[in-house]
Amino acid sequence: MAEQRAVHPLLKIAVVCGALILFFLVLSWGQEHWDAYTVRILNLCGIYIGITLGLNLCNGFTGQFSLGIAGFMAVGAYTTALLTMSPAVKQAVFFIQPLIYPLNSIQWGFLPALLMAAVVSGIVGFLVGAPAIRFRGDYLAITTLGFAEIIRIVFTNIVPITNGALGLKGIPPHTNLLWSWGFALVCIAVMVRLMRTTYGRALKAIRDDEVAAEAMGVNLFFHKNLAFVMSAMMAGVGGGLLGNLITTIDPNMFRFPLTFTVLMMAVLGGLGSITGTVISAAAVTIAMEAFRALEEPRVILGLAIPGVPGMRMVVFSVALMIVILFYPKGFMGDREFSLDRVKRLAAGLDRTNTSKQG
Amino acid sequence: MLDTNDAFDANGAPGTDSAPSADLPALACESVTMRFGGLTAVDGFNLRVPKGALYGLIGPNGAGKTTVFNIVSGVLRPSAGAVKLFGVDVTGLSPDRIARSGIARTFQNIRLFRNLTVLDNVLVGLHLRREANLAQAMLALPRHRAEETQMAATAAQLLEEIGLAGVSHYRASALPYGRQRRLEIARALATKPAVLLLDEPAAGMNPAETEDLMRLITDIRNRFSLTILLIEHEMKVVMGICERMTVLDHGDTIAEGTPDEIQRNDRVIKAYLGGGAVARA
Repeated sequence: MAEQRAVHPLLKIAVVCGALILFFLVLSWGQEHWDAYTVRILNLCGIYIGITLGLNLCNGFTGQFSLGIAGFMAVGAYTTALLTMSPAVKQAVFFIQPLIYPLNSIQWGFLPALLMAAVVSGIVGFLVGAPAIRFRGDYLAITTLGFAEIIRIVFTNIVPITNGALGLKGIPPHTNLLWSWGFALVCIAVMVRLMRTTYGRALKAIRDDEVAAEAMGVNLFFHKNLAFVMSAMMAGVGGGLLGNLITTIDPNMFRFPLTFTVLMMAVLGGLGSITGTVISAAAVTIAMEAFRALEEPRVILGLAIPGVPGMRMVVFSVALMIVILFYPKGFMGDREFSLDRVKRLAAGLDRTNTSKQG
Repeated sequence: MLDTNDAFDANGAPGTDSAPSADLPALACESVTMRFGGLTAVDGFNLRVPKGALYGLIGPNGAGKTTVFNIVSGVLRPSAGAVKLFGVDVTGLSPDRIARSGIARTFQNIRLFRNLTVLDNVLVGLHLRREANLAQAMLALPRHRAEETQMAATAAQLLEEIGLAGVSHYRASALPYGRQRRLEIARALATKPAVLLLDEPAAGMNPAETEDLMRLITDIRNRFSLTILLIEHEMKVVMGICERMTVLDHGDTIAEGTPDEIQRNDRVIKAYLGGGAVARA
């Protein structure tokens, strides 16, 4: 084992780099050659993987049940949109009340705008998190849900900045497959790294037993806020990518159902599993589109069934219930898929055999 | 095994590097009082645990033993009085800062990180002694990597010494009860404490397990040069291994002394042991 480790690192880095280059080459080729519908769905997959990982960091790995994700997405989406729209478009969109001074005359590149979205949603995350994180369980869920609603109401009413209920239109469509999957990969890398550090272990310790974690010297305030702020930042950047993908945003996009969708992805995949989250976020995003067929009128066995809008949400709810019945911890629970695990399972079988003899 | 544990030999108490005075108690409670509304759970509690002692805190149910533990470990802030660690006032600090200053504890009802592996449980205990900051850790800089390797080695060694080496990749919740108790002690030791608080470590154990545990407790005291404060119900445990003890009843200290003195003390017999129990102890 130790010898294997000694040989691996360079080879491993080379393989990972090669895979990444290949992956992005395929994506940039696909951006040009796949049809717009496929590209749109793949973009959404990448964005939701990142956002769901963020939610899982807070709700799954740290056990702090937050329902404010839509609020942070809104903050990120508006920040990115306002920074990337051109002054001319802004003037045309803000016809009720003009946009306030510094924002109306600036236009940033996409990357700095996204980084700013991360900063702003991170700051908002800290302002909300620092007081709210003291609550446990249901109380934290209610507080953060309240925050998300407050954000939506505030955005509906500060017309000189957000254009109110009319929302923003004509956002430049910067988001492409490279951006959305780049974001997903960054989020995956951050999560994998974090969970391998002693900080990640401290977060999981808080999830399992807060009192014991604190008695072992884990600073609850720091670590819970760390999870909360990182989660808010991922949601913010994800929101920014989403806004620049669909090119129009309004406050009503960021209602509770959005949080519910992300939460469903995390629960289905397994609260506390990175692999589970990636698989489930992609699967649910694709299924959301595939199930649209259910809402069309059709004839089954001579029975004419009218198209029912919202039918796919019914199907999703049923699917969710079935999953919770048979996999209470989601598909992956808090496990990860990795080659090491496969190896350890094999070794574990050997060990149980010998321990029975001994 | 004794010569290899240099990672643990220095006890992490604050200010002990600069010539600790011999008469300074490792842990002291000075007229600690805890009131919950109208109820006085602990009243004017005094305690002096000398460095290196194995000290017992006994008393019938509801005597205030666990309240004292919760005050010392920072879960509760006392209504009055002070808690001192090697003369340094630690009263009312948050539990994580108390742990940092060198007091570790176990719990009456086992509180392990159930979904983490045995090894990870111990590694969480080592978290507070880490040096690498978050950025260094995230970027896997050499300092962090060296530290992780060091931590893993320390944790493995600790598990070896506690007798849990074979199960380090098991989930904590999969261990049998007696081993969970051991793991809690290993986790507490990982924080490199100067003072270890054990809250009814023998609760729910059968006589054989209890005997093993008593051996373990005296063993780690010597090996890690610890000061141990022990709450216990089971008279056999305290009388067998503690050098001195304090007896609480309804929040009042009713006796203090060696096991022999306690066994002969009339107030203790009356208030706690009862006539028949003396013979059993």
